[in-house]
Parts: sequence; structure tokens; C-alpha cells
Amino acid sequence: MNSNYTLGIDVGSSFIKLALIDYQDQSSIKDILVEKIRKRNPTVVIDNAVSTILERNEIKYEDILYVASTGEGELVTRKRGHFYSMTTHARGVFHHHPDAKTVVDLGALYSRVITLESSARVKNYAMTGQCASGSGQFLENITRYLGVTISEVGPLSLKSTDPAKTSGICAVLAETDVINMVAQGIPTSDIIKGIHLSIARRIVMLLRKLKVESPVYLTGGMALDEGLTEAIRELGSERNMNLKVHSSTDNIATGAIGAALWGGFRHFKLLEKN
Amino acid sequence: MNPLSLNNYKQGIELASGMFNDLAFGYATQWKALHPDRRIIGYMPIYIPREIFHAHQILPVGLFGAGDRIPVVRGDAFFQSYICHIPRTVIECALNGNYDHFDGYIFPAICDVIRNLSGIFRVNFKDKYIKYLDFPQNFSADIGGVFYRTELDRLSSDVGKLNGTTATVESLNHAITLYNTNRHLLRALDDFRMESPHIISAVDYYLIRRAGAVLTIEDYNQFLQSMTDFAKTIVKEPEDKIRVVVSGAFCEQPPLGLIKTIENAGCYIVDDDFQLGQIWLTKDIPDDTDDPMGALVDAYLNDSIHSSAVFEGDRPKGDQLAKQVRDRNADGVIFCAPSFCDPALLDRPLLERAMDKHHIRHSGFQYHENLGQFHVIKEQAGTFADMIKLWE
Repeated sequence: MNSNYTLGIDVGSSFIKLALIDYQDQSSIKDILVEKIRKRNPTVVIDNAVSTILERNEIKYEDILYVASTGEGELVTRKRGHFYSMTTHARGVFHHHPDAKTVVDLGALYSRVITLESSARVKNYAMTGQCASGSGQFLENITRYLGVTISEVGPLSLKSTDPAKTSGICAVLAETDVINMVAQGIPTSDIIKGIHLSIARRIVMLLRKLKVESPVYLTGGMALDEGLTEAIRELGSERNMNLKVHSSTDNIATGAIGAALWGGFRHFKLLEKN
Repeated sequence: MNPLSLNNYKQGIELASGMFNDLAFGYATQWKALHPDRRIIGYMPIYIPREIFHAHQILPVGLFGAGDRIPVVRGDAFFQSYICHIPRTVIECALNGNYDHFDGYIFPAICDVIRNLSGIFRVNFKDKYIKYLDFPQNFSADIGGVFYRTELDRLSSDVGKLNGTTATVESLNHAITLYNTNRHLLRALDDFRMESPHIISAVDYYLIRRAGAVLTIEDYNQFLQSMTDFAKTIVKEPEDKIRVVVSGAFCEQPPLGLIKTIENAGCYIVDDDFQLGQIWLTKDIPDDTDDPMGALVDAYLNDSIHSSAVFEGDRPKGDQLAKQVRDRNADGVIFCAPSFCDPALLDRPLLERAMDKHHIRHSGFQYHENLGQFHVIKEQAGTFADMIKLWE
């Protein structure tokens, strides 16, 4: 049995993400599992997800060198260690994109900009406040009002010709705006693009604050949304920031990948120490 | 639940948690019902010589405010916005009648705020015994010692009149014996936790110690012995966390959520000053002398732990904290002080410089007892833990 596996578990507010890595085999990603919580007990979802990933790779828990949590790690009942999400997102992006200078973690509850040193070490960071209007949860709520699925959001946004103007300050006001726009008959694609630009405005503000360098890689659930990626590019270009913005490979599982990789690093560091 | 008839660890934590949340001090009420002619005295942090109260058969009860468990309505009227939070909840509880069954209050010298609070109590609770207990900042026996002896003799005489008792040599020595045992038990539990911080969570450990602010010393000693025995039977895998010493929370207590946040962020708290008064004296006090009051004075002068409320003299606090870090095999220090806590925050730059000198990593933040959002603290403690785990 290969005993070089490490497992990363990223507990978000909407999704649980798991990444199984063969740490010795050039840290290759063996498996990724993403599970939506859907109002279930997150601890149960995590336990089931761990069982699933172990079973389908025919390995036992005891065979894993290091199980590392990130995000809301206290919900993971059985683990060896925890790494903070900034640290893991930085490492996860660095794994796929060693040229990365900046990471934008677009989460369900808030977004965060992280600048990196060459060794995936976090140099600086800034994050959105507690207001929900820069978050994935907000976008998900909007899709419900508009009657579209999350996967339709990106392509629809790219079709927009006249983006609507929404409140970029408050999610409650923005949601009211959206309801009014629907009533006024504004095309869905323009409403979505307006929302994307409103979220992107917050992100670009953080990018400017940190005076980031390119390339910029997006991670987290919202990084799957090509409409938002495009909105960030557009606003960056309007502000002459000359940003090269990409969605990171395995974007939604970046935190879990980073946790698994740091877990392996830490395991061997501890071995060396002892 | 009776502290003397516990069946397991969980029951003990439930008991301690119940007492922590009981702002009406039900245990003390029950004690008074059993001893109607005896007195209850409330005391504020950090340290008071509780042996004197035991010798007078008085129940000393620690007053640590109410944290986030009550809204402050009247308390804010007594203090400006740049004053810490603990006096607000203490006066709020007093005005709400939570301390009605108390017969007096001791306010040990910590800072101006506590001194003012003693004055506020004097004005508002004229029928109660109120004592601002001053401690010497000069540690020579013929100056600070004489002063402190006078303070303790006066205190003993005052509470004796209140309770109709006299503290004899025998009763004081007996109290010293009980508190020496208590210090041994606390040290034994502390040593166990230092070795196995994953067995007793930081919150559980806090609650176990906090029970000592309410229980009689006899009950508390038995409680501590039971909890240590129970804890030693628990089997649990340790996690890969850094070990930290938390410093600065000796008066206004951090909310339990904050303690939990630090631990969840990847830090085992292997030492702290949360309830410093319980471990104030680092050695046993002789319990067979003809002058037990003198023994209490000597212990304070010679065997006190370092604290921001005490002049450091020729024992720099920074060096003492560094020694604590080394003794505990800790990876770093988290300075965690209440907002507007003058003693802790004025000491912080000095202690931070000392940690730098000793090449000890540190991080710091502030809180108030009713803090409900821990996101920023989680972020700070989490990145601190990662930095040590990955880059040191």
C-alpha cells in the first residue's frame, strides 16, 4: 500500500472540498471530491465525504500521512492538523501555477486577495468586510430571483450588451434593485452582468489596495463563473491596472489541495525534527 | 449536581459550565442557606489571600463580571467609553440584584478602574462591607511587608466583626493547609495538561479552574482531584498544533468563544494568566508557624508570580515570561488583553521587546468580555500558527 497520501479537507459555508494527494509522486493530485452541504449537518457531510474518497481510492484512513483541514476546520472531527485558508489557497494555486503573484479567493461569504512570495508564502492580504454583497452566497440568492442556475450565470453575463446598475454597497439594496429590474423587464443577462460588475468592483478595490502584480489567479466557488472573471478583467483594465486574470486550475478545490500539500510538507518536517 | 459525587469528566464539565453561567450564584445561595449565620464576600481579580476568609468561615466568591451573558444597561452610565468592560457588568449585576446575598466585596489593587469601582460600590451599597485592598509595590519585609501586614490585619479584623469570628493561629494554619493542597492539585492538573493539551480542551480547562471562584475550597479540592483522575483516563489523538502561552487576560476574562477560537485556529494554550489569582503564590506557605498571617505576608513578598499589576523590581517581567515559554516548551506567545486594560496594554511593548530579545515569536490582539465576533482573531491566530508550523 502506498503510504504517501495526504488528504486536504476544505470546509466552506456552502461546499466541502476534499483533495487526495500522492505527496511523494511529484505531489500529484489523485482525487478531488466536492460536496454541497445543502442544509445538512456539515460534520456528517464531511465524514461521509472522507469515507467516499477513501473507498473509491481503496485506501484506509490509517494509510494517510497527514489529514489537514482548512476553512471551518473545527467541524472536521478527525484530522492531524489545520492550516489557515489563506495559507492553503496560496499553496494550492502555487501547485498549478508557480508563476502566480496574486490569488483572489472568491468564497461564499467573503472574498480575499492574497499576494505571494516566490515560495507560496503569503506576503500580504486584504479581504471584503462582513457585508454579503461581495460574496458567492449573494450571487446564489440572485440566481433564485432570476430563475437561472449557477452554471448559466457566466454564459448569460458574457452575452450582456447593456449592464444594469446595482447597489455595490449593500446586498439587501442590491437584491431589491434586482427585483425592481425584473419588474421593469430588464434582460436577465444585463442584470447578471450588473451584479458581476458590482462584485468585481469590490475585488478590484482590494487589488488596487494591495498594488498587486500579475498573474492573478482566482480560486473558490465563484472562480468557476467566467462572467465574473471577465468583469474583474474589464474593471481592472478600466482602471489601467493591466491585470492578467485567470481562473486557477481546480479552482473550487484549491484550498483542499493546498491543505493536503502543506500536510505532506509538515509531516516530513516533523519527521526531520524528531 | 453535587461537586462531590461526579461520575465522569463530562459531568464535571457540565457542573463547571453551570456554575460559570449561573450569574445568581446558586451554589453560594445554597451554602448560605446551610450556614445562615455566615457571610459571603465577593472579590475581584487578581489576587486576595482567601485563607483569611476561610479562617473566619466566610465564603469568598470570585466576581469576574458577566461577559456576554447580560446586556449592559445601567453599567455604562458609570464608566466612560474608554474604560474596560468588566466594571460595567459587575455593577450591572450588583444593581440587578445578582449579589444581594453577598455581605461585602473586596477590590484588590489592580488599577484605577477597580479603585473607582470600589468607590461606586461604597456609594451605591452602603449596607455592605466594601474594602479596597491595597498591595505593596515595595517587596522589602520592613517596608512593603509591614504595610501589607497592616492591611491584612485590618482586613481580618473587619471581616471578623462582620462575621462574629476571630481567626486563630489554628484556623489560619488549617486554611493555609487547604490552599496549599489546592495549589498542588492545580499544579498537578496543569502539569498533566501541559503534557497532554489535547485531552482537556482550553475551554474545559478554563471552566474547571473557574469553578474555584465559586466552590468552597474543600469542595473545589475534591472536584480538582476527581477531574484530574477522570482526565487521565481519556484517550484521544493529539493534533499537530503549535503550543502558545497566552498573556494579558488576568482581570477582565476573555469570552469562552475567544479561547475556543485560539485553539481551533491551531494553537494549544499551554499556559495563560486567565485566573491568575489561583496560582498567584508559586510555593507552599508554611502551615505550622505561630504567625500564619506573617507567613501569608512573606509568601506574597517572596513567592508571587509576575503580573502587570505588580512592580517588577529586579525580576524583569519579560524575562519571567520568556522563562515561562521555555518551561512550557511553547512555540510562542499570544498577547491577548482586554481593550483599555492599562496594566496589560502598558506592559505589552515591554514584553514584546523582551520576546524579541529572547527570539520568541509573538502575536497580539485585544478583546472585550462581551465580544461575539472572532473572525479577525481566528485569522490572526491561524496565520500565527501557520507561520510557526511551516516557516520556523
